[in-house]
Amino acid sequence: MTTATTTPTPTPPNPGLLFDEPALPLHRRILSSFRGPVGSISFTLAVTLLVGLVWIGPEFLSPSNIQIVGVSVAIPLIVGVMASFALLAGVVDLSIGSMVGFGAVVFNQLVAAGLNPWLVALITILVGAVVGLTNAFVIVRFGAEPLAVTLGMLTLLRGLCQVIVVNAPPSTLIEPLYNVTQGALLGFPTLLLIGIGVTLIAAGIVSKTRIGRKVQAVGGDDRAAARAGISVSKVRVIALVVSSVGAAIGGILYVGQLGSASNVLGTGLEFQIYAALMIGGYSITRGGVGNPIGGLLGLLVVAGITNILNITFIDPDYLDLIVAIILLVAVLVDRLRGGDAFE
Amino acid sequence: MTTSLITPADPAAPVSPGGRKGRPDSRGATAWRDALSIAGVWLLLIVATTIVRPDFLSSQTLLAVTFTMAISGILAVSQALIVISGGLLDLSLPVSLILSAWATVTALNNGLPTWVAIPIGIVTGAAWGLLNGLIVVFGKLNPIIVTLATGFGGLAIMLIFFKSAQIPSTSELRLYGLGRFLGLPNVFWPMVIVIVLAGLALTFTRWGRHLRAVGGNAQAAKARGIDLRRMRLATFAGAGAVAGLAGVMFSAVNPSFTPASGAGFQLIVIGAVILGGISLSGGKGNLLVLLLSVGFLATIPTSIAFFGLAPAWALVFQGALLIIAVGIDGYRLKRTAR
Amino acid sequence: MTHSILTSRPALGRRFARLGLVGLAAASLTLAGCSTVGDSTGGSTDAADDGTFTLGFAVGGQPDADWQELQGDVAAGLAEQRGWDFVELSNDNSEATATKNADIFIQKGVDLVMMFNGQPSANPVIAKKYADAGIPVITFDIAQEGWYFVGVDNAAAGTEGGTALGELAKEKWDCQVDLVIEAEGTAAGQINTWRTGNAADAIGEVCPDIPAENYVKYEADGNLTTSLANAPGVFAAHPDAKNILVVGLNDQAVVGALQAATQLGRDGSIMGWGQDGGLITGANVDPNLVGSVMYFLEGYPSFAFEIADEIAAGNPPAVKDTGDDAAVSVKPCPVTQEQAAAIPGIDERVAELADAPAGTTAYDLFCKS
Repeated sequence: MTTATTTPTPTPPNPGLLFDEPALPLHRRILSSFRGPVGSISFTLAVTLLVGLVWIGPEFLSPSNIQIVGVSVAIPLIVGVMASFALLAGVVDLSIGSMVGFGAVVFNQLVAAGLNPWLVALITILVGAVVGLTNAFVIVRFGAEPLAVTLGMLTLLRGLCQVIVVNAPPSTLIEPLYNVTQGALLGFPTLLLIGIGVTLIAAGIVSKTRIGRKVQAVGGDDRAAARAGISVSKVRVIALVVSSVGAAIGGILYVGQLGSASNVLGTGLEFQIYAALMIGGYSITRGGVGNPIGGLLGLLVVAGITNILNITFIDPDYLDLIVAIILLVAVLVDRLRGGDAFE
Repeated sequence: MTTSLITPADPAAPVSPGGRKGRPDSRGATAWRDALSIAGVWLLLIVATTIVRPDFLSSQTLLAVTFTMAISGILAVSQALIVISGGLLDLSLPVSLILSAWATVTALNNGLPTWVAIPIGIVTGAAWGLLNGLIVVFGKLNPIIVTLATGFGGLAIMLIFFKSAQIPSTSELRLYGLGRFLGLPNVFWPMVIVIVLAGLALTFTRWGRHLRAVGGNAQAAKARGIDLRRMRLATFAGAGAVAGLAGVMFSAVNPSFTPASGAGFQLIVIGAVILGGISLSGGKGNLLVLLLSVGFLATIPTSIAFFGLAPAWALVFQGALLIIAVGIDGYRLKRTAR
Repeated sequence: MTHSILTSRPALGRRFARLGLVGLAAASLTLAGCSTVGDSTGGSTDAADDGTFTLGFAVGGQPDADWQELQGDVAAGLAEQRGWDFVELSNDNSEATATKNADIFIQKGVDLVMMFNGQPSANPVIAKKYADAGIPVITFDIAQEGWYFVGVDNAAAGTEGGTALGELAKEKWDCQVDLVIEAEGTAAGQINTWRTGNAADAIGEVCPDIPAENYVKYEADGNLTTSLANAPGVFAAHPDAKNILVVGLNDQAVVGALQAATQLGRDGSIMGWGQDGGLITGANVDPNLVGSVMYFLEGYPSFAFEIADEIAAGNPPAVKDTGDDAAVSVKPCPVTQEQAAAIPGIDERVAELADAPAGTTAYDLFCKS
């Protein structure tokens, strides 16, 4: 574990070698796959599914239920996967929840004002990029603590949401966007398909491309990465902008899904997403670890448990308690497996 | 190297395996500079507001600001202790606050005398801190992650057990919460005492030196023979007790509250700590600067009201200030590192 | 270098192995699930098709309003009396959750939904879902086209509260009012305008000589803690005001302002009139909260069940979906602090309501005789 994170791979990638791997027997490979965080989270997900099936019955995997889970998990997934680049680069971005809200408010208000939705979407994404650049400017240029800067941004953006939306926000039901965010494609939630697509692309970038290795290297040990000739600043700027733009897109999608945006939309979303990402093997306190697939599985575990509690009509307060326990167990398991120990 | 991994990645910070940012020789000077800059900005805000509204300088403003400082100031001390000890952040502080307030109020409602109810509140806070500390120490887990989880879970547990709580309107504690001493709200004074006591303890006692040492470089502190586990448990329990006191004061001024009532303090308290020059990487911090920072942040909402702006603008300004402040702080560290 | 290649490559391979594994696990579980579909006993939680009338109830889930969960408790009791199936979710004060809850109720195949949505901006989307599914909805307090509206006439509640407070100001201070504070909760949208705005307007009707600049608004967010945090600045910014009136979205918002006044020593001559009656009963009423308008929020379900009974009987009434033309217009009950002293607290009211004969409303039971 330690070797994987502290010896980032500043090796020039060799496309021809991408798929060749040591010939391990299949059972060894399966066994070893359960040692990593993705392995244990797959196991947790399997247990969640099993509990769901035993408790609720086949209804748990009915198309309508998959639709419900898919629709609710897709936007956090897209936002989370984009934000995971910042985590990977070692710069946690706490402002994503407020950015989702701010993006949604900007998009909703401007669409309601009669502007073309496509143009407004572009403006919203630009706003996201500007926020990301501002975070990056203070963090990278001035060397400020990411946690502190993005916490300030979280506060600032939430304030702006409340300044802009002082009374009931307008309703903007945009049919095409509604159909994408709430609809199904071949019996599967469209937005979840998009989210999984984004996850797979991100996973490919992280594990197979030079950019991905650079991000991991910077997050794992920035000094070593700098010595290896990687521009630490550039990687972190890009990662923070990706994170913010992802949140802005999430905001747009929420407006599609909900037909409006109140000034509390996205409050606390950052911690929900990061809890799920940490269950999936990421860390908010050190970079260089985690894989988007793990993030997806982490979000699915939380969404699965939420759904089990929902359709059995159990008090949702228990959800946060269960998520808290799973999170603690997940980081504990990660630590026992050789992750960082805090003393 | 382990120590540099547990702090948030800090690209430009001059972290070398041996010595970290906290340079004992320059600490006093840094504190003075932090204090002067915050006092300067605070003065600027007061002058600007006074130009627009000359009646800003009044006993009413003083009362409004000191009242706003009371609860968040005590909580800021609790948070500061965690941060200085290298615990990064305690995200479960709203739970400590409300849990202690609820324990106090429940004791009073069950007819227990005030002198029993107040310690119950403080001990509840300490117990909650100790719980966090035990998980951190025996799980060897990062406190910010642990308290993120216990913050979630703690709120959930409170929501399951109570919907709202009310302090008896005739209880001594309630009357104390409504009273005034030397022209300022009663609840302001415990905050001052806590800041002064904690500040003195941090500077002049062995415990304080150890706390800073552990926060500055845990491994070096361990090598010098400091028992890390004991230190961490004591810090979490102590910081919890301080938050417990905040809970007692909270129950004295909020006649009715719900489990979620503490949420509003989270950001303002963390903001005050960071603005007060207490670095998230631990080991450094001066509580008198923290007092200035709490006072400055508490003045913003009142100024906003004098300007006639909506209260949401206070969030915008506080957020922007936080970003600017940590930017300047980071820049300074970067320059001195060269 | 070689070493790092070795450590990174298998990681890649492992990832694919894991992916396959997960897929495998999911697929086998799906198969296991499908194989039981044929069983008639499968899906024991399926209440939709056993012929029993199923009521879905979504409480608001706003953290500062204990009456919202009590609405659920009252509804559960009423459903039990009728032998109906009852399922409850919380909207969690989030528009996303409220929307998801609609999907869950639709999947569950409920016959009727009752809900309160504190973040009503998503209501059009939710309405669309229920309309497509053909499920009738009874909404509390916030009107939505196509839904039965059960609620207090918020506009009247605001006016009645403001009028009562204005009359007191006229009687005690001869309308010499230096400051009228409006403790708003803008997230409540139109309701805020009705309750807070109308109350301020009504004060102006009774005391027309109060100058416009004496009216000041601030955000109290409908809860005491936020209100108490934001109000001190308002008092400080109006240092010369002596006779002060406070109106607001609810009792919590108003009491927050009254508490701030006490802290700043401005409580010598202040009167607040709340809305919703949340803090006007019991032993710990703020001395300056001279009155409130009670809606007996916890009792809303008993009104809603009048409609539900007709729907369950197979002859749904015509949909009345606006505040002016409500399915059931809950009568606001303005009470002074003395009158409120005779009204039991919310928990006792819930208990009494549960024991009362069918058709009895909280208004009948508790509004001043």
